[in-house]
Amino acid sequence: MIFAKKQSPPSGARETGEPKQLFDEAFLKKLEYLHIVARKAFSGRLRAERKTRKVGSGIELADHRRYIAGDDFRYIDWNVYGRIDKLMLRLFEEEEDLHIYLLLDASRSMLIGEPRKLDYAMQVGAALAYIGLANLDRVAICPFSDRLHPALAPARGKNRIFKVFDFLRAVEPGGHTRMAPCTTKLVHQQKRRGLAVVLSDFYDPAGFEEALNTLRYNKFEPFVVQIFDEKEASPALHGDLVLVDCETGNAKEVTVSRALLEKYRAEHERYCDTLASFCTARAIPYFRTHTAVPFDELLLRIFREGGFLR
Amino acid sequence: MTLLAPIPLATVALVAAVCGGLVVVAYILKMRRRRFEVPFSMLWQKILRERETTSLWRHLRRLLSLLLMLVMVGLLLFAATAPRLGDPDQAASSLVLIIDASASMMTRDSGDDGESSRLSAAKKKAHEILGGLGGDDAAMIIKMDGQTTPLSRFEADAAGLHQAIDGIEATATPADLRRALITAGDALRGRAHPRIILIGDGAYPERVLEDVTFEPASSAAARTSAPEKTAPVPAAGAGAGAGAGNLAAIDLSGIDVRFFPVGGATANAGIVAFSARRYIANKMAFEVLVEVENFGKKPVKRKLVLSSGEGEASTTVDVKLLELAAGQRVRQIYKDLPSGTDTRLRATLEVPDGDPADSFPLDDTAFALVPARRRQHVLLVTDDNLYLEAAMLVYDNIQVDKLTGDDYDAAVGKGELPTYDAIVFDGITPAKLPPHTNLIYFDPQGENSPLSIRKTLTAPRITHIASHPVMRWLTLSDVNFDKASVFRIDPDAGEVALARSLEAPIIAAKQTAGGRKIVAFGFSLGGTDLMLRVAFPLVLVNSLDWFAGQGSDMMATYETGQTARIPVDGEVHADGAIITEPGGETFQVPVTVGRAGFYARTVGIHELSVTEHGTPVATLELAANLANPEESAIAPRAELVMGGRTLAAPGGTIVSHRQSLWRYLVCVAVLFLCIEWVTYNRRITL
Repeated sequence: MIFAKKQSPPSGARETGEPKQLFDEAFLKKLEYLHIVARKAFSGRLRAERKTRKVGSGIELADHRRYIAGDDFRYIDWNVYGRIDKLMLRLFEEEEDLHIYLLLDASRSMLIGEPRKLDYAMQVGAALAYIGLANLDRVAICPFSDRLHPALAPARGKNRIFKVFDFLRAVEPGGHTRMAPCTTKLVHQQKRRGLAVVLSDFYDPAGFEEALNTLRYNKFEPFVVQIFDEKEASPALHGDLVLVDCETGNAKEVTVSRALLEKYRAEHERYCDTLASFCTARAIPYFRTHTAVPFDELLLRIFREGGFLR
Repeated sequence: MTLLAPIPLATVALVAAVCGGLVVVAYILKMRRRRFEVPFSMLWQKILRERETTSLWRHLRRLLSLLLMLVMVGLLLFAATAPRLGDPDQAASSLVLIIDASASMMTRDSGDDGESSRLSAAKKKAHEILGGLGGDDAAMIIKMDGQTTPLSRFEADAAGLHQAIDGIEATATPADLRRALITAGDALRGRAHPRIILIGDGAYPERVLEDVTFEPASSAAARTSAPEKTAPVPAAGAGAGAGAGNLAAIDLSGIDVRFFPVGGATANAGIVAFSARRYIANKMAFEVLVEVENFGKKPVKRKLVLSSGEGEASTTVDVKLLELAAGQRVRQIYKDLPSGTDTRLRATLEVPDGDPADSFPLDDTAFALVPARRRQHVLLVTDDNLYLEAAMLVYDNIQVDKLTGDDYDAAVGKGELPTYDAIVFDGITPAKLPPHTNLIYFDPQGENSPLSIRKTLTAPRITHIASHPVMRWLTLSDVNFDKASVFRIDPDAGEVALARSLEAPIIAAKQTAGGRKIVAFGFSLGGTDLMLRVAFPLVLVNSLDWFAGQGSDMMATYETGQTARIPVDGEVHADGAIITEPGGETFQVPVTVGRAGFYARTVGIHELSVTEHGTPVATLELAANLANPEESAIAPRAELVMGGRTLAAPGGTIVSHRQSLWRYLVCVAVLFLCIEWVTYNRRITL
């Protein structure tokens, strides 16, 4: 056992720091800008809010099919009948309000970094929530660590954004990262399926696979945003150190050399690639970012690549 | 291999044990590591698991690091034992090299061009002698000028000795051969094959050369059965006592003493005496004495220039052309020279055009000081005392005004009293005094007396006179008084008793913190026969001279290389002094019992700044001249007779090829240290 010695987890000034400055006026302006950009980029699709895969009584034409007995006459496309002399039924995409679950990792490992990963995740989460609320989706926020923290109930409408801010400010970080039990609990608590945006560093000793699969198997659409700090991916360490796991408190005396550092970088990259491969293989939208990237830049990338707005 | 072992081997072993232990403990002790928090230790866990497989190798590497350090310590300690290749040399000698750096060694008559100084030639010869030392020979360098300065201990390290020789500079002081020989003899006592090599021009006092003895004290004592015929000379230090009949004898028994002469020039004419003094009666004039001697064997011509002042403000007082026969000494006295504003006098010997240049210019210039003097303005406050007025008229150096007691009080009361240098109160003790003016009181009375009066004596006789400028040249033992006041002397207030009747001070002086000087006579001029004596005007002149700051009519010039005790007039609380040499170099000297130690190393005007708690409180100038005929007689001795024995020239030495190893050992230790440092920092031996 390498990390045999247990030490008390670092206490904390970090835990008590409230992210009051995260959602200031400048942040709100950025949100509004993002909202406008989102509307411009996806014009024509936003007015009707989210569309489900169901085909039903919507207003947007989705397809035609042959008329069969029993179909509603009102949906027969007479123009087509006039051209091809066949009865074709017009099919519409049925529209409904989408549920967006923002799963925010609030474990102790999210407190590391400059700025803190948790702060960054909160900003990204708040921005996504704003976009969702503005699109009349129902947005819920579910912080988690080794358990599922009290969640912000699904709400819609832009004016709910301040409740989102207040909720995020009140999140109490700490604890280990255990994603699987948390997602299991979430799928049992939330009857309505929807988009499950996971904002986390995915540093779960038990692995991330089970958690994401749980969401998938329960008809949720996972949306992965992996956040890390540049210094934890490529730490500027040298010499004799005691490395302490911030969550478990396990300590290990290490002499960090350049070679060891290179190995660590490669290992970190490999870990991230594993997560990326997992998501790609399962058609789960995956975004990797570090905290030095402005959150609005990340949002624009998300908009461009799709997956959040449909 | 031989170990010279300058440090006892037992000590080396002890140090080795301690250092080895410390190194091992340092390796056993765990390093305090910096804590660093990581978010996900599993990533580190994976890569560290791979490293665990090489832990045995890592332990071995740490062991290698420990061994490197132990080897390094071992090498350093081995180097401390001064190992050398080859067997020990039984004929190894201890050599003291005395290099004459006195004034005469500044003579420029050596080298290929004949323009190098004798000291350069001496240093060159010293380097040659060091180059010929054997592998086990140890040498010590002594610089000999007015003081004896050992520049090294006994060392076999030629580089350090060469460096010490290169640093020798000649000073304008005579050679103190006695002290140098005693120091060398003491240093060599008990060492195998002791040798002294003296390199110089041989300008040493004959008396010192005669005091050297090469026989042990016991045999010298046995041969001296008759009572001592030589008057004992004060011993100069350790080493004296070899000759039972001569306390000043310099014991060099058992020491091989050699002499290497340097120099060639013999012709020199120099100033051997230069001083100035004021006339006792006329302090506004002075006379100057200059003595010039030709030390060569041929007649020479020299131009003697007497000038006052320094630099561009210099004024030529007199120029004389002197024709000096071989060995002739000429005395020149300049009389009735008027005091000017310049206090500095300079006598210079110049070589007339066409004559060969002087190879020893140091004694061609001499300096003297004449104290600045101005006419004093004195007020006499008396009710017509003819004797007192007549005594004051004797002194040409003062201008006297006279007031009665009432007129004085009126003038002081109105603030109309002119500024005087001194006021003499004859039987009057006024309440109001002008500030800073020096005062003489005859028969002061009452509470305004400058010194408190203890009692009155009837018909006292002066039994004791203090050594003070006011009482100079005075004898008052036969002076009669009808009565006299006895002063209470407070030394802390700057009061001193000048004359006592048994233990009762009846003449006293006082110097206040503000600088005012007071002389108080405890008797009335009408009740003593002092006025009828020569001592009366003299005591007045002395008092006024003391007021003017002139303790002496003759300002002494000091000889270089001699320690003088300079009185620090009036600065009773002075605790130090700073000497500034003519070249600007300064050094501190102690002040004890009101006198400052003064040792001149260079010719010229020195400034003595007296300090009290580091703050300068007074400054005076001192003139220093070589004035040493033995140094001016620059003709070198081809051979030196010391203790009745003619000293031989230094012979050749057997140069052994044995090599000292300590440098190489230190280099290897440093190499190991570098290897350990590099491997540690590259995490190879960690």
